[in-house]
Amino acid sequence: MAADNAAKEADPQANSLTVKRPLYEGSTQYKSWRYSPEQLEQIRTSLNVAAVSVIRNTFEADEPGSSEDVLFLNANEEQLLVKLYITKIPQLCGHFRFPEEVEATAISYLKRFYLKNTVMDWHPKNVMLTTLFLATKTTNNPISLESYTSNIPKTSSSDVLDLEFLVSQSLNFEFAVWHAHRALWGIWLDLQSLPDVSEDLRPQDVYDIAIKHVRASRFTDAELIYTPSQIALASLALASPVLAERWADSKAVAGAAQPFSATLDPTLGSIKYIITQMGHPPDVEAVREVDRRLKLCKNPEKVPGSKAYLARQVAEQQRAEEKRNKKAEDVRRAVTEGGNPFGSELNEDEKAKQLAELDDDD
Amino acid sequence: MSNRANVGGWLKGKTVRKGGITSNVHTARSSTPQVQSTSSTLFSGGVKDASGRTTEYFSMDDQCPVCKSDRYLNPKLRLLVSSCYHKMCESCIDRLFTLGPAPCPICQKVLRKLAFTPQTFEDLTVEKEVAVRRRIAKEFNKRREDFFDLRSYNDYLEEVEDITFNLINDVNIAQTEARILAHRRENAALIELNSQREEQYAQALKEQEELERQEKEQRALELRREQEIEREERETSQREIIDRLETSTKSAAKVIAKSRAEAMKRSSARSTTTTVLRSNAQLLRARAAQSTVIPDPPHVPLQDDWYAYEDLYTIRDQYDDMYSDAVRKDREGIMRAGGYRVEEAWDRALRCAVAGLDLLPLPGLNPLPARTDSIVTPA
Repeated sequence: MAADNAAKEADPQANSLTVKRPLYEGSTQYKSWRYSPEQLEQIRTSLNVAAVSVIRNTFEADEPGSSEDVLFLNANEEQLLVKLYITKIPQLCGHFRFPEEVEATAISYLKRFYLKNTVMDWHPKNVMLTTLFLATKTTNNPISLESYTSNIPKTSSSDVLDLEFLVSQSLNFEFAVWHAHRALWGIWLDLQSLPDVSEDLRPQDVYDIAIKHVRASRFTDAELIYTPSQIALASLALASPVLAERWADSKAVAGAAQPFSATLDPTLGSIKYIITQMGHPPDVEAVREVDRRLKLCKNPEKVPGSKAYLARQVAEQQRAEEKRNKKAEDVRRAVTEGGNPFGSELNEDEKAKQLAELDDDD
Repeated sequence: MSNRANVGGWLKGKTVRKGGITSNVHTARSSTPQVQSTSSTLFSGGVKDASGRTTEYFSMDDQCPVCKSDRYLNPKLRLLVSSCYHKMCESCIDRLFTLGPAPCPICQKVLRKLAFTPQTFEDLTVEKEVAVRRRIAKEFNKRREDFFDLRSYNDYLEEVEDITFNLINDVNIAQTEARILAHRRENAALIELNSQREEQYAQALKEQEELERQEKEQRALELRREQEIEREERETSQREIIDRLETSTKSAAKVIAKSRAEAMKRSSARSTTTTVLRSNAQLLRARAAQSTVIPDPPHVPLQDDWYAYEDLYTIRDQYDDMYSDAVRKDREGIMRAGGYRVEEAWDRALRCAVAGLDLLPLPGLNPLPARTDSIVTPA
């Protein structure tokens, strides 16, 4: 139905046929942060495998043979850890009284970050703080760094700032996120336009239950697979199937083969499954176990003060040194080998002629 | 010709002060030292500014190119400009032209004594240009409304500028004058109409200024009178108090209180009876009513190639919405940022609710970027 409406004529006078693209398809969320469940799994496992091999090599470079005993994390365990920190974000937001937009955006950022990086390189604790700070800025609810760090115990401003560029880079600087809670609000407003839905059919608790489901969906991968409007509709369907069906049917186009709600059912079904099965915080004990193991298999290059870190620093300095020397060499060569370090002289006559041609005023 | 009466005035010892009518105006408004005329010319402003607010150009290194005299020996030196735009001091002018028309000592063009005016601009070329433009503006006064389209108006303007340029730079003078003549003959009626219109406009403007000035004076007068009356009343009330204290037997406090109450009553009565002076707001409204109405053509909304799901929902004026309750109930707008409208927030939410509702999730491991089937529908 939207498919038919997606193509419209722009200008009847010009009689041209222009295809209008739906607005959501112009968003970066659609273009770069949309995956299938299989893709997600593949990305995570490949990332994990690559990271493990790199860290293993770093261990080997340090002391050959040390990496035999180390039990690296696998993709699922990484997921678990990230999920725990995702659940910490709403707590922080409640403490700061950030609006829901900030919370949702920060969670999105965290998820997306760990699609491009591994937990063994960057521990989620500081990344979580950075994403939350970044989210306050990108959603136009900024607070000063000082008030942010002073309200979180045992945090310094460098913890937040050091990772900020890395997080932004991992997000590919695509900061705008479309959220399901806004879509749910929209559905709730639109329900009031339905003629056959009276006020008592939509009590406030239905909305409350639905928004709880939306919040639960944030702990899952739903937003990386489905659109926010689908997630919102699924949440409403979990709260009140009748209302969801009526609303979806009202959005159908005349002459469709089946009521719109039926076409949406498979999608909604899978979202509902995801929310109910995976939409709750992880088991704390299991996470603690993972965390303990993480301490051992962390990438030593990223830990300041370790041998590998220092070695890396030295390597970088060497590279910078080389670059500087090369540049100095180039300059010296240009100056001493004669010729013109600033370029050859201008041809006066030609210039004057050119100028005379150009001068056409007064 | 008032000059005739004063010919040879300097010989007889009757020097004429410069610009008799407007001299007090000049000294009142400008701070540059005013040159006193030693000759009989009576002009007050070279560029013929009617309001008399421009002052003559003056510089300490002025020197007459003919007799080389300067201000050092001759503080009342005044350089006038001929119609061929050459400068000369008044004594030279007198010497050369008193006995009738004579050739200009610099360019030999024959001039009369009347042809000299005081200088307004430092640069004589500017002076010439201003004079030329003034003359042209009188003749070529068509406006945008007199033309069908922008193109012809621009062509007309270009022609006018062309003529002006020729006159200023002495290019093809005879031909240019012929063109001016031709234009005048062709458009005599229209020129007349436009010049009348301009006159009326200038007149209306002057009247308005007059009115304003008068009103301001009125208000100042009223204010002064008010203050006078207040002062008098205060004095009389004080005297009354003293008298009453002398004569009455009641306690002093009561007497004072009574007289104060009376003073209050009197002042409130006075304020209601004073003529209601026109407030500033009323003046502005009156002015706005007089000004011409500017037509506001309907604007074309932004058109782009994005489909914003407008047909999937209709936005209503009012929603029973707990999120925006506080903002909507906020009468003074303390919570709202400039330009915030609840309708826009609702619109955004509704759009979010229907955006991508039928987008199927990506299937499998290596899907092509899925897109809703775009069907190109002809008209």
